[in-house]
Amino acid sequence: MAAITVSVPGLLRECIGGALRAKLAAATAAEAVEVMLATFPRLKVHLYDEEGRMRDHVFLALNGASIKRRTDLDIPLRDGDRLDVVQAVSGG
Amino acid sequence: MSELLLLVGTEKGAFTARYDESTAQWSTSGPHLPGWEVSALTLAGNGTPRLLAGTTHYVYGATIRSSDDMGRTWDEQPGSPAYDAERGFKMNRIWTIERTASGSLLAGVDEAGIFRSDDDGQTWSELRALTDHPTRVNWSPGNGGLCLHTIVQDPHDANRMWVAISAVGVFRTDDGGASWELKTRGIPPVPTGGDGVGIDRCVHRIALDPGAADTLYMQFHGGVFRSTDAAESWHPIESGLPSNFGFPLVTGRPGELFVAPLESDERRYMPDGRLRVFRSRDAGESWQDVSAGLPGEPQFVNVLRGAMARDPGNVGGVMFGTTMGQVYATHDSGETWQELPMQLPRVLSVTAHRMGA
Repeated sequence: MAAITVSVPGLLRECIGGALRAKLAAATAAEAVEVMLATFPRLKVHLYDEEGRMRDHVFLALNGASIKRRTDLDIPLRDGDRLDVVQAVSGG
Repeated sequence: MSELLLLVGTEKGAFTARYDESTAQWSTSGPHLPGWEVSALTLAGNGTPRLLAGTTHYVYGATIRSSDDMGRTWDEQPGSPAYDAERGFKMNRIWTIERTASGSLLAGVDEAGIFRSDDDGQTWSELRALTDHPTRVNWSPGNGGLCLHTIVQDPHDANRMWVAISAVGVFRTDDGGASWELKTRGIPPVPTGGDGVGIDRCVHRIALDPGAADTLYMQFHGGVFRSTDAAESWHPIESGLPSNFGFPLVTGRPGELFVAPLESDERRYMPDGRLRVFRSRDAGESWQDVSAGLPGEPQFVNVLRGAMARDPGNVGGVMFGTTMGQVYATHDSGETWQELPMQLPRVLSVTAHRMGA
């Protein structure tokens, strides 16, 4: 189990209690996403659409690299890793 | 004396304005919910005043938020309107939130549908009969989306209401939403690519005459209409207006209504760049330009459909906001106008309320 930090864009800070970052414990990236959504359930409607697909202009980044298109999130985590909710830059 | 409270939803947050009648001055607050598109904003609550905001963001979707301290803090409602996945519809925007006489709430949304809450906005349920209407397969979005933007309730019959959907038409229920009938006779179709059989009517706004529950008015995509038979049939009332294209329409006294015509569909700004409001006091038979006090310099702006409201405590009170962020108010049916002391983001919604007694 690794101690990691998750972060959200400013517009979603209320979903995680008013802060931009929070600490979580998870062994893999898949588990980290699961724990994040279980801990902060209000994130779900903003990250996923009615059919459970991640919204078009949002992605998750593990240590700065997008994992949106990865089908296998069984990625081992280490203490200090970062999982960021990122708003994709779309437009000028 | 009750206080006039104006709630203004914009593309980047919500604002409030309170009117001090003794000094004729406005005091403003905001932005509340900064960064969120506030497409609907109203005052509700059973006992305690509660602000309800329909918030949207093109990235993060649409939800309803509430504030019980006049906007200082907000709670996102976990039971916000949402279509069940098997419906196949998306929740793109909350267009309007209306309180019913019994204290329930109704929300009109994009994709077009209507939701009801019986717990002050905490949880919402879809009134499925509307989206199950046999014409639904042919509904298609207009420029503003496939939006149910207007809900009009009959003050004399709690089971009757009308809803308006852009590029589709008007529907009426006489049984509290258990069934709906399309009511577009007399309204011409617009080219949506649909089959034009009954739907394809781009209704921009409807409002009820306060003096006659069977009389409604409509600002259409190309025309202003009146119905005197509860929307069974519609008849044009646009003679005397500089244009029949526009978005907002509000009623004041019985037979009195206000519109803000635009140059045309292609040029969605004020005719000749002059910010003008038109009033009728004979149910649309004739119209007067009531623009004294509005800016004389060029104003190539629009007034969106939800951005004009009437003061519930003064039949002569009308307020509107523009796409360039100015807000104007009249307390004498348009004889004089006052600009509120704030320059806002694009104004999407304006509602007026009375606080206290």
